Amino acid sequence: MSTAPTPSAPAIAIHDLTKVFPIPFKREVVTAVDSLSLTVAPGQVYGLLGPNGSGKSTTMKIVLGLVTPTKGHAEIFGRPCTSVDSREAVGFLPENPYFYKFLTGSETLHFYGRLCGLSGRKLSERTRELLALVGLEDAADRRVGGYSKGMLQRIGLAQALVQEPRLLVLDEPTAGVDPAGSRDIRDLILRFKERGITVLLCSHLLGQVQEVCDRIGILHRGKLLREGPLRDLISIENQTELVLENASPELLADLEARITLGGAKLLEKRRPQTTLERFFIEVTTGQDPR
Amino acid sequence: MRIRTALITLACLLAFGAGRIPIENHLAARHGAAGLNTAQLDLSLRQRIGQMSFLAALSGFRAVVADLLWIEAHSAWERTEWGRMKLLLDTVTALQPRAILFWDNAAWHMAWNASVAAREDRSQPREALRIRNQREYFKAGEDFLLRGIQNNPSSALLHERLGLLYQDKFRDPARAAEAFQRSAQLPGASQYVHRFALYQLALVPGREAEAYACLKALYQKSKQEHLPTLLRRLQDLEKKLSVPPDQRLPILESP
Amino acid sequence: MHPSPSTHRIFSPTRLWAIASNTLLELVRQKVFYFLLLFALVSIGSSVILVQFSFQQQFQVLKDVALGAMSIFTWLLAVLCTAMILPRDIEDRTLYTILAKPVPRFEYLLGKLAGVLLLLLLALSLMGVVAALVLYLRQQDVLAGILAHTAPEDLDAAVRELKASTFTANLIPGILLIYIKAAICAALTLLISSFASSPVFTIIVSVMVYLIGHIQPIAREYWLNQLPAGTIVPPLIKVFLGFVALIFPDFQLFNLIDDIVVGAAVPFAAFAQTALLGLGYTAVYTILAYLSFAQKEL
Ligand SMILES: Nc1ncnc2c1ncn2[C@@H]1O[C@H](COP(=O)(O)OP(=O)(O)OP(=O)(O)O)[C@@H](O)[C@H]1O
Ligand SMILES: [Mg+2]
Repeated sequence: MSTAPTPSAPAIAIHDLTKVFPIPFKREVVTAVDSLSLTVAPGQVYGLLGPNGSGKSTTMKIVLGLVTPTKGHAEIFGRPCTSVDSREAVGFLPENPYFYKFLTGSETLHFYGRLCGLSGRKLSERTRELLALVGLEDAADRRVGGYSKGMLQRIGLAQALVQEPRLLVLDEPTAGVDPAGSRDIRDLILRFKERGITVLLCSHLLGQVQEVCDRIGILHRGKLLREGPLRDLISIENQTELVLENASPELLADLEARITLGGAKLLEKRRPQTTLERFFIEVTTGQDPR
Repeated sequence: MRIRTALITLACLLAFGAGRIPIENHLAARHGAAGLNTAQLDLSLRQRIGQMSFLAALSGFRAVVADLLWIEAHSAWERTEWGRMKLLLDTVTALQPRAILFWDNAAWHMAWNASVAAREDRSQPREALRIRNQREYFKAGEDFLLRGIQNNPSSALLHERLGLLYQDKFRDPARAAEAFQRSAQLPGASQYVHRFALYQLALVPGREAEAYACLKALYQKSKQEHLPTLLRRLQDLEKKLSVPPDQRLPILESP
Repeated sequence: MHPSPSTHRIFSPTRLWAIASNTLLELVRQKVFYFLLLFALVSIGSSVILVQFSFQQQFQVLKDVALGAMSIFTWLLAVLCTAMILPRDIEDRTLYTILAKPVPRFEYLLGKLAGVLLLLLLALSLMGVVAALVLYLRQQDVLAGILAHTAPEDLDAAVRELKASTFTANLIPGILLIYIKAAICAALTLLISSFASSPVFTIIVSVMVYLIGHIQPIAREYWLNQLPAGTIVPPLIKVFLGFVALIFPDFQLFNLIDDIVVGAAVPFAAFAQTALLGLGYTAVYTILAYLSFAQKEL
């Protein structure tokens, strides 16, 4: 299986996608995705944002061929997502993943590896490597039935990575994962980006999305409201932030005077605080993250 | 969407049905010819065994239902409830018409056990009626064997039992001889039925000569056939047929 | 757009085996084998309560009960296990992770069915071994009695009769047909469960089809007019009978064990045709299950 990106085709191309779910025994329908078009370039990390029920998961399921669209179509690296071979180089982590309870962590990875055509020594090595990558070496021989939510999320990520995919589709990868683990996953995503792996993810943790994504799209009731490079979308053109260390009160007073003189306006003066996340991690660093 | 799929599935099932029904018809006939699935599971049977047992018998547990009724018949026997026993045996054999064991045992219970009980029934003071009841059980036994033979025409055992019934109960040597003879011609027959047939034939008025010839042939075949009954029958026949002393077989007078 | 050349194969035995063996493992770890324990107890128990009968009767009842139990347990396993597999995978969303891999849906479905069929094979073989063992032990018991109480010249015949009334090769086609019937029921249950929303519904419908399938031949005979002369069937009823005959399978054709136990032999050609028909049923139901599953929203 080749991992070389195909430069000519976008990793994901979604054209005018609509998905309507009928409500059983009622005449009403739910429009989960509404005329959605978007493109994810190879190597990009794309964040799909939106409130609950806005159609993020549905969009991902359509891309993976799990749900048939009512209208429109989608492609993965130029192959229609209705064909099985489009999923050759895709890893998917569904929301709240759940695996066969009776398998151990490493048996689970073996199973998914065999589905991707891996076998023998290569598969065993890959399994060990992935368990280390997601930090589950110690739980490798425990039944998945006894895994905690965060552990399930980790094994789910490992499972998605088993055939070294070129595209990762992650539905809330950090849901239920502790902050350290969540940061690990963020770091992993950044590493995938370095290696040229395309990632489509959705998350409600906007802070994290901001840290990893190159480009975002905001969905609301199935419609794409805004879309574009993250930097462009959130920068405020006419404002500048300065963070000073060891500034004396005199220096500050002087600065304020100069600001007014220069025709600018000081909007806010405050003492920067560490984030709760950073604080939590500082306190728990050195402890076992699980 | 689901409804369309369901309709397509239904149409496919109908088409598949149309394709397979001639095959199934042919196969059912084939099985029938091989004596498989010949039990008549009809409404009268349903009345006799009840809805649940009937359903079980229909859905592949015919043999087990028959066995349960058989065990019930066995306890009816232990309580000497003859009428009920006959009903149960009728049902058992209807469910398992290929089970020779059931036909054989049912006939034996009727003709040998129930008939004796009827003959000695103290609640029935009139001798004539007791004898009539006894004969009725003989008939019931015969009936089981005849039906058994109808369902299993090649069973040597059932023909043999029928011969015994005619011989011991009906004292009808002609029919006994015929039944034994049939049995002797079937695969798996006991070695003695041919002899039994001739013994009975010897008792049929008018066929003594035929019997004598056959028995004589048997006698001359090997020394192993020189059984006491055979010798006695030969001597009786020689007397009856007034065979001249010099042509008689060299049999010593039995003591 | 130029899709890169694909190395993906439409059908891969390794993937199929991965799914089938995983399903087998799942089912085996699910205590279904308590069924088999129950089976062993039933067979052994029935031999104990029958001591007052002659050995021929004992063996006949023992075989009937053992084969009846084999038939019902194999069928129950087929229906219960198959009714569970799809809903469980959908509910746990394991199906998402599997189908998000390059696994065609028919391969997934076939793998699941193959897992159930393997389980049935395992269960039926185990039951067969237990039944043969119980029969063999009883046979040795009876044999000891015969050796002690039979005159030497009758010994041969008595031993032959004894052997003929225990486990004979005749039974094997009957047991194979039990398996084939269970396989049909598994495929049928899969078809139903590809439409159904709950396993309970699947099980109920499957049991109903099973029961109706046993009276299908009656409907067929009436529909095709193979009935006693003088019987008149109203046209509407006739249409209904035809519908029943066409839709429902004829399970009676696979029910030969009752007659085989009491000594009837199945001609090989008849057996082969019946087995082929069973294969046809299984294939058609599986294909239809796939058609419905392929359309299914997950
Ligand atoms: N199988 C289905 N049948 C009917 N309606 C569905 C189905 N799947 C999703 N929906 C509806 O489609 C809409 C979008 O759901 P979706 O799961 O895509 O939202 P989401 O953006 O992932 O939300 P969340 O942030 O809560 O995960 C919801 O209103 C949901 O009720
Ligand atoms: Mg979601």
